[in-house]
Amino acid sequence: MNNTSLYDSNTVINTTRLTKVFGNLVAVNDLNLQVIRGDVFGFLGPNGSGKTTTIRMLLGLIRPTAGRAILFGLDTAYQLPSILLRIGAIVETPIFYPYLSGLDNLRVVAANSGMVLGKANDRRIEEVLDIVELRAYGKLAYRKYSLGMKQRLGIAAALLTDPELVMLDEPTNGLDPSGMIEIRQLIRRLSSLGKTIFISSHLLAEVQQVCNRVAILRKGNLVKQGDVKELLRERERIEVRIGQAEQTNSAFDVLRQSQEQGATWISNISIEQNKEGEPILIIDAPVARSAEINMLLAHNNVFASEIYPREGSLEDVFLEATTPTSALSIQHGMQRFAPIPAQIQSEKEKGAIL
Amino acid sequence: MSSMPQTPTEQDIPATKRSNTVIMGHQDFLSVLFRSIGAELYKIRQRAMSKILLLIATLIMIITFLFPALGALANNSPLPQASCITDSNGQQHCTPQSLQDRARQVIAEKIKADISAPLRLPNSLALSVTVINLVGTIALIILTGTIVGSEYGIGTIRLMLIRGPTRTQFFLAKIGAVIVYLLATLFLLILVGIIVGALFNLTTGIAVDFSFFTAEWIVHAILYVLITALGLFVYSMIALCLATLGKTTAAGIAGALIWWFFESVLGAVLTAIGFLNKGPVGDFLQSIPDYFIGNNISALRDHQNQYLINGVGQATSNANTNNLSDMHAIIVLAIYLVVFIGMAWWVNQQRDVTN
Repeated sequence: MNNTSLYDSNTVINTTRLTKVFGNLVAVNDLNLQVIRGDVFGFLGPNGSGKTTTIRMLLGLIRPTAGRAILFGLDTAYQLPSILLRIGAIVETPIFYPYLSGLDNLRVVAANSGMVLGKANDRRIEEVLDIVELRAYGKLAYRKYSLGMKQRLGIAAALLTDPELVMLDEPTNGLDPSGMIEIRQLIRRLSSLGKTIFISSHLLAEVQQVCNRVAILRKGNLVKQGDVKELLRERERIEVRIGQAEQTNSAFDVLRQSQEQGATWISNISIEQNKEGEPILIIDAPVARSAEINMLLAHNNVFASEIYPREGSLEDVFLEATTPTSALSIQHGMQRFAPIPAQIQSEKEKGAIL
Repeated sequence: MSSMPQTPTEQDIPATKRSNTVIMGHQDFLSVLFRSIGAELYKIRQRAMSKILLLIATLIMIITFLFPALGALANNSPLPQASCITDSNGQQHCTPQSLQDRARQVIAEKIKADISAPLRLPNSLALSVTVINLVGTIALIILTGTIVGSEYGIGTIRLMLIRGPTRTQFFLAKIGAVIVYLLATLFLLILVGIIVGALFNLTTGIAVDFSFFTAEWIVHAILYVLITALGLFVYSMIALCLATLGKTTAAGIAGALIWWFFESVLGAVLTAIGFLNKGPVGDFLQSIPDYFIGNNISALRDHQNQYLINGVGQATSNANTNNLSDMHAIIVLAIYLVVFIGMAWWVNQQRDVTN
């Protein structure tokens, strides 16, 4: 990566070979991450993949073993206080002082966030309590809050200084479905105001709905980073059920031949078995090409019983990036096969081979 | 935090404008520190524990002053007036019985005055400080251990450290809040002690003699109070250090209280053993308590107490009632402070606060 893009004025977060080692465990390895101003950035990965460790390094809670983290063009190793003034964050489950009310907790957070002391900022505190719909409970002691209310207070604290970058680590933890919808709407609203949002989450459907860019970590390594739409487009596929194994193999050959003859929009073809044990032709291609595939097969006297255009999902992208291939196939409820030789197939149909 | 020159390609991205309702303060080191101290004091003020501790200390102060007041009242039984006749030449003629009664009356009044002396200045100041040395030390150890240890115990330290203040500012804010709370509590309790003493003194009918009240006395009284504050501060810093090292409230409170208690016990034991073992070993053992916190605070306080109780003129001749010099005491206490605060600061800087 060249320096121009590394320190682009629109790059809010930029990590260069960021690494954290705990003893023998490499928690984060050579992470190069870019978050652009205005992004709603999803930071994904299974448990223990290094997401929270990365967030902790970005917020200066722990020091990197190697590499650099640049936020707003400032190095976290040297200019952390200036960086933190521009960030609102919750890390893991937000924790506040149990003996203080929600309102008092926000007053303390405000004073520690560079805001003036006293009641001058009460209007802002009321605003953020309104945003997370906790105003009615502002004077209630924090220890009496439910998990969802605690989570919402955490978000309120993150928004207190009207920061440019909002980092939310599992923001929907403990929230009921309506709470999740509210958070999603809040994220969209913040994004529309030009805020950059960095969300670490396990809820892929949530991330898919609100994020425009994602990065996926696996065992501390960045395995995927990019535009959500592009990643989903890569995962679009067309499933064709023909019925008989022999016909399915013929269809496979027809499509492979087309691919070799220049149909570059077909990236991969395979045969899988559905839950009923029927062979299904899986074509990794844009769903818009479904009719074209049907026509191609029909021209070669192969007639599809059903054609399913399948939109890509972040879950597919995530699973592909984080799960070994065999496990991936099982999770899809399918077994992936190479074209089945006709002789074996006929025996299988007779039940000789299970 | 040190600054590093930026490379030509590394540009600080200008900050966007915040909402009008967000009122930011100055961001220089001291402004951030003072705001953090303010936030710490706000938390202390909102805690039920700090109010309860203050209430208990006030009650103990009142009860302590009740004892000399009750003692004076017990000696308040009216004695018969000596029956004397004054003749035309102005000479008094008293019967032997009357003279005895008069002598007894004078002695009783002297006893009452002595018993009730702690109710009046300057002695009421010394009694107040004695109470504070006991109750105040315990209260401040509990408070300091709690405000530091609970940040780790509850986990709020993470919340605070991702908001902007540096670890040093966070650490100094704790110390600053302890100092403010300590001084406020100290002055409040001294005031309570003096006022309660004066009120109880009304029951004795003995007038306060303010002849001691000179500018020089005031200076020594201030020094006396500051020495008391220093003693409380040193023990608070032990609580702060141990709570930081142990990452719990219990470590800070228990550790500092044990230190405070065993120091006096150990001092007495070492002195006794040293006394029994004559020679260099005995001298060495006897000299160890000279480096204990309590003994050095006592030395500083005793020296000032001379001026307060005996008056400035008499004090100079009796200045060496405590063997330890002021300089020795100050150096020893300074070393303790540097070690405890330094250790806690270093751990605070280095520690992974994420568990």
